[in-house]
Amino acid sequence: MVDWVSLTIPFAYLGILIGSLATFSSLYRKRKAAKSSTLEPWFGPNVQRDIYLSLLHLEPEPGKEKSPAVPDGVLKAALLHRAVEDIRRILEVKNAKQALSNLLQRGSVGDDLWQRFLRAEKEIEAELRDVVEEANALQSGWGQTIFQSANEMHHNAILREKLIAVQAQGKSDKEWWQQEKASIQSKFMKELEEGEKDPTKPASTLGGDKVGSDEDTVLVESGGPIASGALSISKGGTSKKRKGGKK
Amino acid sequence: MTTDPLDTFTSLPLTLDPTSKSLSSPLPDLTTPLTNLTQLQRALLSTPSQTPPPPSSTNPKRSAQIAKMRDQGNASLRKSSSLASAQEAVTLYTYGLEMALTRPPWEPVQLVREECALLYSNRAQAYMGAQMWPEAAADAECSVECKRTGNGKAWWRRGKCLCEMGRWREAGEWVESGLEVEGEKEGGKEREELVGLRKEIVRFLDEERRRGGR
Repeated sequence: MVDWVSLTIPFAYLGILIGSLATFSSLYRKRKAAKSSTLEPWFGPNVQRDIYLSLLHLEPEPGKEKSPAVPDGVLKAALLHRAVEDIRRILEVKNAKQALSNLLQRGSVGDDLWQRFLRAEKEIEAELRDVVEEANALQSGWGQTIFQSANEMHHNAILREKLIAVQAQGKSDKEWWQQEKASIQSKFMKELEEGEKDPTKPASTLGGDKVGSDEDTVLVESGGPIASGALSISKGGTSKKRKGGKK
Repeated sequence: MTTDPLDTFTSLPLTLDPTSKSLSSPLPDLTTPLTNLTQLQRALLSTPSQTPPPPSSTNPKRSAQIAKMRDQGNASLRKSSSLASAQEAVTLYTYGLEMALTRPPWEPVQLVREECALLYSNRAQAYMGAQMWPEAAADAECSVECKRTGNGKAWWRRGKCLCEMGRWREAGEWVESGLEVEGEKEGGKEREELVGLRKEIVRFLDEERRRGGR
């Protein structure tokens, strides 16, 4: 015969033990989840995703019952932009991962940062899956190529940005060069005037018997820089010519 | 309760114009993304089923047009070294560049790089023919941006333009990095020219130093 009364004691003991462990575990997990969700997200708000989802759930205009139907083209464009944003984020995550794990091993960064990073990584993976599903829903088979297209779009945008920046720099260079050219030209004019004013100076230093012929050579020399200077104006040229003028 | 960020989104106040299919929003932050969106949507109209085709397939017509512009520009440069033909070449290359840069954004970036590297480099040459040094320098730099290795001509052109503008020191640095990128062992005429330009720059800087020291 089983003594039920004396058996209740070990069962009660087991029950209390398991119960308290379960309570502790669930409380602990809840707290941990709450803590990690209060951590600042790695990335800012994903505007492209918000636009796409807002388009899907467009509010009906006041006075109308049905919400306006969004054309497929608009949705596809929005989804493509969302994919581009995801590419940007996943590249950032990939680039940061190695460096961050190194820093974590050395203890240079806190665990919080690592937690935030892992969460971002998990989120982006889910986001990619979501985009592929949406793409396949909009157009069968698009899910396979949407990220290829998005990748090209991302790199195209970077390239064009860079080219625009270089061309803008070229424009400001052009303005600088206009002023520089003008100042070089005015220098030439001054040299020309000086050259005309004192053709006697080098002649007198040379002095001597054949004044006439010396004057001729001086005139040719002082004429030289202006003629060639007008053809190709360059600083390198000026200094060389100036040297020639000095002798 | 905590909410999963993947299940939620921020609802944005968007309005859709049913005729033009363009979107608008009272939030100023959204103006740029929405304009881009409308542009992309218009670009997508040209594709079958309004979905971008896989990047491997491109429109051969555009490539042919761009190549034609480049060939015509080259022919114009070869015809004579006058200012007028240089300007004509600049115009032709500019058309080609416009076509290359307005390719649909989902087309392979590598293709754009190849085409633009050539066009920018050639336009730099045409500008040099017209003695428009700053424009030529900017174009040569763009060409290098598109294609860093195996682009010795563009490296040389920008170096030369900087010399012509009297920015010798900058030119020296530029040519040095060009030689670094092109690699020491790779021979060929382009590299020799780059080495020659480096010599010229070094000689000039030495001369300047001596004059300054005197």
